[in-house]
Amino acid sequence: MTYNADQLTVLQGLEAVRKRPGMYIGGVNSAGLHHLAWEILDNSVDEAMNGHASEITLTLHKDGTTITVGDNGRGIPVDKNKKTGKTGLELVLTELHAGGKFQNDGSGNYKTSGGLHGVGASVVNALSKTLSAVIKRDGKQFKMTFAKGLPTSKLLRAKGEVRGTGTAITFTPDPTIFPRTTFNAETLAQRLETVSFLHRGVKVVFVDEVAGKRKSFRHENGIADYLKQVLSERKAGPIHEEAFYFSKEGEARVELVFQWTDSTDEHLRSYVNGITTAAGGSHENGFRSGLNKAVRNYLETHKLTPRGVKISHEDIREGLVGILSVFIADPQFQGQTKERLNNPEVQSLVDGALRPALEQWLNTNQSVAEGIVARIIAASRARAASRAASASVSRKSATNRLTLPGKLSDCSGKNRTDSELFIVEGDSAGGSAKQGRDRTTQAILPLRGKVLNTEGAGLKKVLDNRELADLITAMGCGIGPSFDLAKLRYQRIILLADADSDGHHITTLLLTFFYRHLPKLITAGRLFIAVTPLYRVDIGKQTYWAEDEADRERILEEHGDGRSTPQITRFKGLGEMMPKTLWETTLDPKVRRILRVEIADSLETDRIMNELMGRDPSARFRFIMDRAETAQDVDL
Amino acid sequence: MARKATKKAAPLFDEVEPAGEVAVALHDAAQSRYLNYSLSVITSRALPDVRDGLKPVQRRILYTMLRERMLPDAKPRKCAGVVGSALKDFHPHGDTALYDALVRLAQPWVMRHRLVDGHGNFGSIDGDSAAAYRYTECRLAPMAEALLDDIKKDTVPFRPNYDSTQTEPVVLPARVPHLLVNGGAGIAVGMATNIPPHNLGEVLKATLKLLADPDIKDYQLVANDAIQGPDFPTGGQVLASREELREIYKTGSGGIKVRATTVEDRKAKTRTSRTLVVTSIPYGVNKATLVEQIAQIVVDRKMALLLDVRDLSTDELRIELELKAGADKDKVLAYLYKHTSLQTNYSYNLTCLVPTENPEVGAPARLGLKEILWYFLQFRLAVVTRRLENELGVLEKRIHILEGFALVFDALDEIIKIIRASDGKADAAKKILKRFKQLDAEQTEAILELKLYRLAKLEINLILEELDAKRNRADEIRGLLAEDSETDTNSGRWGIVREELLEMLELHGKSKEAKRRTLIEAPEEEAAYSEEDFIVAEDCHVLVTADGWVKRQKEIKEPGKSRIREGDSVLACVAGSTRSTIAFFSSLGTCYTARIIDIPASTGHGEPIQKMFKLKDGERIVAAFSLDKRALPGSIAENPKKPEECPMVHAIAATTDGYGMRFGFDKFVEPSTRSGRRFARASKGQAVVDVLMLHGSENLLAITERCRAMVCPAVEVNYLSGPGKGVRLIKVAPDDKLLGFKASRGERDLLNVETNRGAKKTVSTVKYRITARGGAGTLIQKNGRIARIVTEAITAPTLRSR
Repeated sequence: MTYNADQLTVLQGLEAVRKRPGMYIGGVNSAGLHHLAWEILDNSVDEAMNGHASEITLTLHKDGTTITVGDNGRGIPVDKNKKTGKTGLELVLTELHAGGKFQNDGSGNYKTSGGLHGVGASVVNALSKTLSAVIKRDGKQFKMTFAKGLPTSKLLRAKGEVRGTGTAITFTPDPTIFPRTTFNAETLAQRLETVSFLHRGVKVVFVDEVAGKRKSFRHENGIADYLKQVLSERKAGPIHEEAFYFSKEGEARVELVFQWTDSTDEHLRSYVNGITTAAGGSHENGFRSGLNKAVRNYLETHKLTPRGVKISHEDIREGLVGILSVFIADPQFQGQTKERLNNPEVQSLVDGALRPALEQWLNTNQSVAEGIVARIIAASRARAASRAASASVSRKSATNRLTLPGKLSDCSGKNRTDSELFIVEGDSAGGSAKQGRDRTTQAILPLRGKVLNTEGAGLKKVLDNRELADLITAMGCGIGPSFDLAKLRYQRIILLADADSDGHHITTLLLTFFYRHLPKLITAGRLFIAVTPLYRVDIGKQTYWAEDEADRERILEEHGDGRSTPQITRFKGLGEMMPKTLWETTLDPKVRRILRVEIADSLETDRIMNELMGRDPSARFRFIMDRAETAQDVDL
Repeated sequence: MARKATKKAAPLFDEVEPAGEVAVALHDAAQSRYLNYSLSVITSRALPDVRDGLKPVQRRILYTMLRERMLPDAKPRKCAGVVGSALKDFHPHGDTALYDALVRLAQPWVMRHRLVDGHGNFGSIDGDSAAAYRYTECRLAPMAEALLDDIKKDTVPFRPNYDSTQTEPVVLPARVPHLLVNGGAGIAVGMATNIPPHNLGEVLKATLKLLADPDIKDYQLVANDAIQGPDFPTGGQVLASREELREIYKTGSGGIKVRATTVEDRKAKTRTSRTLVVTSIPYGVNKATLVEQIAQIVVDRKMALLLDVRDLSTDELRIELELKAGADKDKVLAYLYKHTSLQTNYSYNLTCLVPTENPEVGAPARLGLKEILWYFLQFRLAVVTRRLENELGVLEKRIHILEGFALVFDALDEIIKIIRASDGKADAAKKILKRFKQLDAEQTEAILELKLYRLAKLEINLILEELDAKRNRADEIRGLLAEDSETDTNSGRWGIVREELLEMLELHGKSKEAKRRTLIEAPEEEAAYSEEDFIVAEDCHVLVTADGWVKRQKEIKEPGKSRIREGDSVLACVAGSTRSTIAFFSSLGTCYTARIIDIPASTGHGEPIQKMFKLKDGERIVAAFSLDKRALPGSIAENPKKPEECPMVHAIAATTDGYGMRFGFDKFVEPSTRSGRRFARASKGQAVVDVLMLHGSENLLAITERCRAMVCPAVEVNYLSGPGKGVRLIKVAPDDKLLGFKASRGERDLLNVETNRGAKKTVSTVKYRITARGGAGTLIQKNGRIARIVTEAITAPTLRSR
């Protein structure tokens, strides 16, 4: 067989559509099939959008594959086109790229429309087994029928006068092209409802002859009603009462409504000329940047961003549920399936329209704005926290599943009984403790530096503190009103700080925290202080640890070899010890000593804690001067 | 089984009594630990010692540097080495804290006399931090030698370091009262310290003055021949009288004001501006932050006489302030002193550690100047004494040996013979000891080690002379040590102390560096400026938009062309002096009054009114008036005791439900709080439509949404002395609302409206009969509604000249 120019084919007109339907409707699957209905529907919607039609009816006929879309618009022109000699109706339905939507400079019949390539109706015609169009115009009724895109009749005029105007197109998809030609009533109904939302006031009727049902949609508040429905579907609780609604007419129409909710994700439905744009595009980008700038301006003007909080656009949009609908003259989509808007000018259009309006709305609704700002800051904090805890571990504990702070080295035992949490000063000591512990029962939480002085600090301030918040999470028992001893994840909480002065300070700060905010842990006998060795005895090359004077003497007696003079020093930090030594001296439950903290005299305890940690420095001064003489073992 | 046990609800925990568990009372545990911590911070962290004026970390750094021989004439070496050594041997804490302490010792704007000579980037007065310690180099500065001198002569006690591998000085043998020279600051527990730097020469003079007369009165130490006040490395001027300073130095606490110094640069004077140069700033102030503060005032136009600020500092501080020509520089400075750190307060707290019986630990005390100097003198005496004792010990050792030599030089030949006949050194020593019973082993050893040339005749004479001199010196020292120095300050040892102080005065007190930098001035009768005085009276325009954005500009020629936000429109443009106020009337019946100077000056959009006042949700500004007397002449009632009396110029407000009220402006003249003042109480759900200015003779033309119009004399609307609902101006049907109204003075006044179909319509006052208030009005068109009243073009008002 030769391969020459004669072998090349040029597909003529609608033949191409039938050969390669995917190019026009995206495929011959169910989505493609429904696309046929959308194309015809969009034509009617275009009539409504431009104010010519107020009612659209879509009928799914008994066979389940035939659809009629009717509107009370102007009716497709039936007079003859001078250039081609064909009637307007025939042109629209048989020629690709024929239509009334190309002129949008104001002289055209349509200001904006969803279909614009002029392929819609003719493609449907080409892919239909049969298609008939009934036009009411100028008091007359016309009808014309087609099969597989070719006219099967002339334009027939019905007898007598009719009232009103309109177009009704009935088509049955061609089963030789579509493997399945049954329409899904649910999909159709949903689409029709969306149409009614986006074009407020337009009555959209769905007649389902298969199920014998009829549904009528009409929404006076348009997308605002839509938003309410979306919110209830998603079960998202709005954090402010009134949604922000904005619409602007002009060369293009922008209409949007949104509300911040307690949900953690962002949900935006966007439409261009009534067509959903699932993949977003420039209008969504404009929406995001306008929203972002408006909120940032507001935060900036009123200096609302707390120090140390960096707000990202994700934070601003967290929990946002919104509907964005734009109508523009010349939409450019990526692909005929119209998933993504491409017009770059739309971005600045939406941005520029939304920004001043939203900023003004925030300014004039300060109490609402406060709530929204609080929501955004909380989102920002949460984001920062989750970033910090990205290496977080979780353990299925006896009580519940938690997201534990990343610094916590938890124990592996599932049983709470006999489990212990060591709160260790600093990462240096934390490292030793981690290696030296019994990992089945002992967990280690290193704290950085000095913790917050919680004497007189409110619950909020405590929770805002990173270190303490981690500690509370690690313990699992909650704090304040949510405190529940039954949820404590460990049997014992043990404070393990260095034996130097800063270690003592940290211990007192932690004791203050437990005493003021988790006193029930103390009364339940859950809080302990670890006893670390007091002395380090070096004899020759050997090092021994003595927990008190008696112990030290014993070591000197037992190990003194008489040759080298033993060196005795005060023990400084946990980091000084080898992990094994730490285990032997401080961690091993068999040999260690721990102090169980008790509230012996509640009045006295309160007075002393207030004196030591409270606001009044003179009380502290007196305390120190009174006791300076009797103090022992002070670090120098 | 075990599973079952854990599932049981109570008890929560299987009580396992662990070994070695002892109960401790919370307050005991906290108390003992806290005491340990606080004493540690007080005695070995935050407070300087009265004797050498150093905190432990500083002392350890200097001692480390001395040990590393990083003396002033040596080549500077890496700071990393100092940090490392000090950390390893003496100071087991964080390296950054240690390095920061080292850096401060080398910063000339922190230390009056630097103790460390730093090479490389040691930060700046702008708050820049120093380069990392791997880059910078350092060595001791000359002043440090005055602290470390004689340390090797056992002049101060030493104690073992933290791991007992080394010893470190408890205090440095300072030759000058360093505590006062460089001062210091620190926060301990329950106490803190804040000691300013002083002039070295003055401090030494005061010390000598005290030594000359230990019974001197406190106040005599604060005098022209003693301490005159603090002397900051950054200069500046102190505002305090001698009496105030004497009181502070007596008690050890009190506050003074420290100001920058300024001079006028007459050469830079131009037709429009004059330049003031800041030549020094208060101690501890970050220059960059200060310049930022001043710049913010310039940007916000808070002080209109101040035009610009420029930081032209090199190694010499120079901040130029550009003032308006003819501006009162004292007024500008007074404003800056009040609102920026061009003036700061310094509060004295002369707390330091004083020696106790335990030489290793000090106790905190707040001292007066005399006590500080006295402690120092006592310390000097102790140092001198210890040095003499040390010297005596060395001398006695030498004398002992020399005496041995003297003895054997008489029997030289015999000694030589013994040595020649002996079997070795040990044998020789034994034989010499046996022959010369007066000698001891030490002397014998020295004799055996003697070099042969020493046996020359002249050398022998030299040794005898040395013995003589040493004996004399030893006798002298013994004499000095025997003297009573406890009570008698004329003793020889005190003489040495005095001489050494004089020597220091000679060496350091007269150098260029020691010249006083800070001016001390008694606070002059400060011209009292009130907040008002700082506002430069300047006429300006304030623009208010319908969305409630406000801005102030010197002149807005065409309000319609002013920059406003997209979709917004100009509501009002008023004129007034920056010293007068502006009142904003809101739709919810609240009036917010602000000083015009506080309206943001901007050529942009301005700022939302919500930033200045707390408006409720949905509350809008409907009208704004300047309360400048020239804009509202006669707005204050003639007889203020009768509030119901209507002043000549007053206001009228009307609400959507057709109620109206007249009221005076006088209650709204003073600036209001953020929540404003009520001027009207509209019924629920109703809002104030507009507020207009009236003279009393006007007719009102009111228009409702449903096309009703009426004209009535304004005086028929009641004048209220307080916020109220008002009286019915026009009867408004339940489905209708008042859109707006206009006060008409002339015969014929027009109101342009737009209908809901977009058509324009003009309503003229002449067309309607003047009726009484409270009527339903005339229907001006049958169908449709009126959408809005077309606002007239707003022109910028001018103020009558004063």
